Amino acid sequence: MSDNKKVRMTYYPGCSSQGSARHLDESLRAVLPEMGVEIDDIADWNCCGASVGHIGGGQLPNLSLTGRNLAKARERGTQDVITGCAACYLNTHGGNEKIKADVKKKAQVNEALAAGDLKYDGDLKVRHVCEVLVNDVGVDKIKDRVKNPLTGLKVAGYVGCQTVRPFAQTQAGGEYDSYDDPNFLDDFTEACGATAVPFQNKTSCCGGSVAVMSPDRTLHLIKNILEEAKEAGADVISTPCPLCQTNVEMYQDQINAKYGTDYKIPVVFYSQLMAVAFGMDGDKDAALQRNTNASDKLDKLAKRGG
Amino acid sequence: MTAPLPNPGKKYDLDFARWVYDNVNGGDKMALCMQCGVCSGSCPIGTNMDHGPRKLFMMIRAGMQEAVMTSNTPANCTSCYRCVVRCPRSVPVTYILQDLLAKQAELGYRAKDSNENIAFAKSFWWSARAFGRTDERLVTAKYYWSFGPAEFWKRSMENLKIALGFIKKGRMHIGMPHSVKDKKGLKAILDKAREIESRG
Ligand code: SF4
Ligand code: SF4
Repeated sequence: MSDNKKVRMTYYPGCSSQGSARHLDESLRAVLPEMGVEIDDIADWNCCGASVGHIGGGQLPNLSLTGRNLAKARERGTQDVITGCAACYLNTHGGNEKIKADVKKKAQVNEALAAGDLKYDGDLKVRHVCEVLVNDVGVDKIKDRVKNPLTGLKVAGYVGCQTVRPFAQTQAGGEYDSYDDPNFLDDFTEACGATAVPFQNKTSCCGGSVAVMSPDRTLHLIKNILEEAKEAGADVISTPCPLCQTNVEMYQDQINAKYGTDYKIPVVFYSQLMAVAFGMDGDKDAALQRNTNASDKLDKLAKRGG
Repeated sequence: MTAPLPNPGKKYDLDFARWVYDNVNGGDKMALCMQCGVCSGSCPIGTNMDHGPRKLFMMIRAGMQEAVMTSNTPANCTSCYRCVVRCPRSVPVTYILQDLLAKQAELGYRAKDSNENIAFAKSFWWSARAFGRTDERLVTAKYYWSFGPAEFWKRSMENLKIALGFIKKGRMHIGMPHSVKDKKGLKAILDKAREIESRG
C-alpha cells in the first residue's frame, strides 16, 4: 500500500471483543486506521461457532452462522472482511471457502439463510488482520508509524495455532507465513522497536477450548510456554490470539499452585504494543489497563492523556 | 440426523469403516491415510489420548467400532491443526476427530473424557442460538452447572479469582447478555439449517 493510501474493509469483531479480549478489539480499532485500514463493522454480527459450535449445534447450523455474518457483510459491498480473532478467522474463512467450493453446501446455507431473509453468493474474501498487515500494509509501513519505539522491551512472540493453521500457507489464506515457524509476529515486535527473543514454542498449542473447559488436562501445555518465555528473559509475551492471551494469562496462578513455580508474566496483544509504539494513549488506545498481569516496563513506555 | 451404526454391539464390523466414510465430516478422505504417524507424532496432547489419530484411523478400518466410539482421542483434540498441515496425504485429521466426537455423543456413546467437551459444546451452543453471541460468563456458569450444584460450587470457587480479575478489568461484564438485534431471524436460520441437516 503506498503512502497515505487508505483501504476500507468490513470488520468482524467476534464475541471475545465484548468480553475477555476487549483489549484486542480496542487496540485494533486504534491502530488499523493509523496504518491506512479503515473499518466498518458487520451490522448485527453473530458468533462464529468457535471450535465447539458444530458439536453443540451440528455442521450446517454452525456453517449458517458464518453464512449469516457474510450475508450481512455483503450488504456493505464487496470489500474484504477482516477479523483479528484466530477462531473467527478459522470459522469464517474456512466456512467461506467451503461455501465457494461446495455447491450443495452453498445451496443448503442459502436455504437456511432465506428463513431470515438473507442470501450469500460466496463472493467475499475473508482475511486475518495479521495477513493484511503483512501483505497489504507491509512491515516497513508499520515501522514508519512508530514515534515511540519500545527500546529495550524483550518480547516472546507467541503465535499459537489457528492464526496460521490451517490457512497461512494456502493461496486463499494469502500465503503470508509458515505453519511451524512464522516470522510475522517477531517482525511486528521489531518494527515497534522492541527486541524479539528466540521462542521455540511460538506455535505450540495453549490447549484452546479444552483449557477453558478442563484446565487440568492442559495446564502443562501453558507451563511450557511460560517456562521458555521466562528462560528467554522476556518482559512480555505477545500474541495475536484472544484465547491464547486469556489462557496463558489467567492460568498462571493455577500453574504456580500445581507446579510450585512463580510465573507472573504479562501477556499482551501485538496491537497493544503497536498502539504504545505509535505514541497513542496507553489506556484508551493500547488498553493496557485490561491486562490482569501488568508490565511495568511497557506501562512506563506508554504515553498517557495525549 | 446421522445414520445409525450398521451393526451396533458387534466388536468387529467391517461395515463400520464404510459408515465413517459416509457419515463423518472428512471421513471420505480417511482412505488416503498411509499410517505414517506424522499426526500422532505432532500432537501436543497425544499423551492424554488412548490411541491418537493414526491408530484410531487404523482401528476404524479394522472395524473396531465399540473401541472407536468410546475412545477419548477425539475429546482430547485441541484443534491445533498441526496434524492437518503436516499430513503428507492431506487427510483432514482435526475435522474427522471433531465430528467423530459429535457422532459419539449423538449415538449415545459415553466416550472417555468426552462428558466435559459435550457439556461445554451444549452450553456454548445454547448461548449462540439464544443470543447470537457467546456470553463467556453465562456459558461458563451453565457449563459448571451441568455437573450439578456441588461441582458448580467447586469449579466456581476454583476460578473465582480469575472471574473477579476479569470483572475488575472490564473483560467480564455485569448485566444483560450481549445479543444480536435480530434474534428472531437468527433463530429461524439456525432452526432451518437443523431441519435441512436432519432430512439429510
Ligand atoms: S499423518 Fe496423515 S497419512 Fe500419516 S498417519 Fe496421520 S492421517 Fe495417516
Ligand atoms: S488438531 Fe488435534 S489431533 Fe491434530 S495435532 Fe492438534 S490436538 Fe492433535
